[in-house]
Amino acid sequence: MTDRFAIGSLHGETPSCRLPVGDGAAIIILALFIIFVISIPKFDLAGALAFAAIPLLLFTATPVPLAPVLKRLVIVSPFILFMAVGNLFLDRSTALTVAGIAITGGTISATVIVLKTLLTLSTLLWLMACLPFHRFGMALRSLRVPEVFVTQLLLVYRYSFLLAEEAAMMQKARDLRSFDGRGKGVVVTAKLIGSLLIRTTARAERIYMAMSARGFRTALDSRPAGALKANDFAIIALAGTLFGLIRYLF
Amino acid sequence: MHMSDALLSPVVGGTFWAVSAGMIGWSARKTAADSDGSKTVLMGVLGAFVFAAQMINFTIPGTGSSGHIGGGLLLAVLLGPWRAFITLASVLVIQALFFADGGLLALGSNIFNMAFIPAFIAWPFIYRPIAGNGDSQVRLATASIVSATLGLLAGAFSVVLQTTMSGISDLPFSTFMLFMLPIHAAIGIVEGVLTWGVLSFIHSTEPALLRKATETPAPKTGFVTASLFVAALAIGGAVSWFASSNPDGLEWSIGKVTGQEELASPSESTHERLAELQEKAAFLPDYDFRQTSGEAENAASGDSPVNAGTSLSGIAGSLMVLLLSGAAGLIFRNRRNSSTTASQS
Repeated sequence: MTDRFAIGSLHGETPSCRLPVGDGAAIIILALFIIFVISIPKFDLAGALAFAAIPLLLFTATPVPLAPVLKRLVIVSPFILFMAVGNLFLDRSTALTVAGIAITGGTISATVIVLKTLLTLSTLLWLMACLPFHRFGMALRSLRVPEVFVTQLLLVYRYSFLLAEEAAMMQKARDLRSFDGRGKGVVVTAKLIGSLLIRTTARAERIYMAMSARGFRTALDSRPAGALKANDFAIIALAGTLFGLIRYLF
Repeated sequence: MHMSDALLSPVVGGTFWAVSAGMIGWSARKTAADSDGSKTVLMGVLGAFVFAAQMINFTIPGTGSSGHIGGGLLLAVLLGPWRAFITLASVLVIQALFFADGGLLALGSNIFNMAFIPAFIAWPFIYRPIAGNGDSQVRLATASIVSATLGLLAGAFSVVLQTTMSGISDLPFSTFMLFMLPIHAAIGIVEGVLTWGVLSFIHSTEPALLRKATETPAPKTGFVTASLFVAALAIGGAVSWFASSNPDGLEWSIGKVTGQEELASPSESTHERLAELQEKAAFLPDYDFRQTSGEAENAASGDSPVNAGTSLSGIAGSLMVLLLSGAAGLIFRNRRNSSTTASQS
């Protein structure tokens, strides 16, 4: 579980992964990219392939390690593969013939679905690997996301690691005491989760007292959120034009 | 079940994004009103608890496989609707950002299916009336199982609707429903039993936790109905817009469902006019581009939506762009590296 978060610890503010735009603008550009990719028509393989240029550029130009990103993309979602295979079987009309081999419409639309998934998710994971989560939180504040929600995200992220460790210990302790799978049923598990929950709320109280002692009221960061700069708007417009061009040309 | 970016059309994805973002804003205002810092921390830590609790597996009897708790209903019972909604939404955001579950555009749909439904539908309208004050074990069990199952079924139904409306998948509505509903009914029953187990454990060891939760006021029926109504209107509008702007895809799916290429429509002229208008105002008229630049060497067979010659040359062009961007990236990286070593030395 803790290693599922490893991508968050990849960021490191190495000079070569420094973003050329403000963090808030980077999030907007990512959203633009995703909207353009998703708007590619169902059978437009060339269009989807052309957009792969963006994540390819990002991954080759920056030292973000590929392995953890690829691992997540491989295990991504049995659901998406199921839907793609569905298209493969349901749409058997021949769409084009290449060197005598008939390629069905389903093959093309299934490939486009998988390709779109890989494009949007790899770009998202790239940004998360480049952007430390506290900076992501600040960027959300600059985009006017409600303070309550930003604080919530930062707290969930912070405590996931700690509670994951605690849960892993409990699970290991139970497994060590279990013979022939006994004690691994729903009843014991429910009690285990219940006691984890009670420990969690007790921990929340301790955390709150410690945080109050350090001046916490309702927000984790009292600095005012910086708004987007003119430079950011220019780069957002540039990126939008670039995506539009790719979409138009292919 | 996480909805995925690639199965959504921008209009459907965008609509659910707007609905979910609006709900987050509303819930944030609601929870910010009672500025109780301890609850802020409790929400944060309980969000993290959902991840931790999902790590604790149990064996599903008779199958040999294992499952884990989802936690949506449990949070709704512990925190009340507004706070549970924010907490569940934050969990879904983290899942999308770090585990690549779903994607950024699908986040709106996922928040609607897996946070709005348990917090604003399953808890106030199903769980609460059945469970009462939580003293009776039978009522607690019934409430947990019924509301977890119905909540998950509603979420699954919503996934089917979103997918069908987007028109990217070829799965017919009825087949998809037949596939999704039984699985989610089974998952829902297990989730309900587990939630009941956790709640009854808490009830016997630390009842104060539950008492605090039952004191939270339920959202007004009017509010929920109104927000569902707005969502329905928005979705309806989105679908009709999608239908008029993309007649090809719709005809295709209609052909699949009814065996006819087009449905008889009384408003044919309006439809055509809208389509014509859309074509004129098209942001990216790639259809024209295709026709002029295409070489029809490999003729497409029949009424295929893919033009063979043009798409093959298009794919070749895309591959060249890929090659160029990869090379540019490597050059950029090497220059960065050499400049940093130069500045260090």
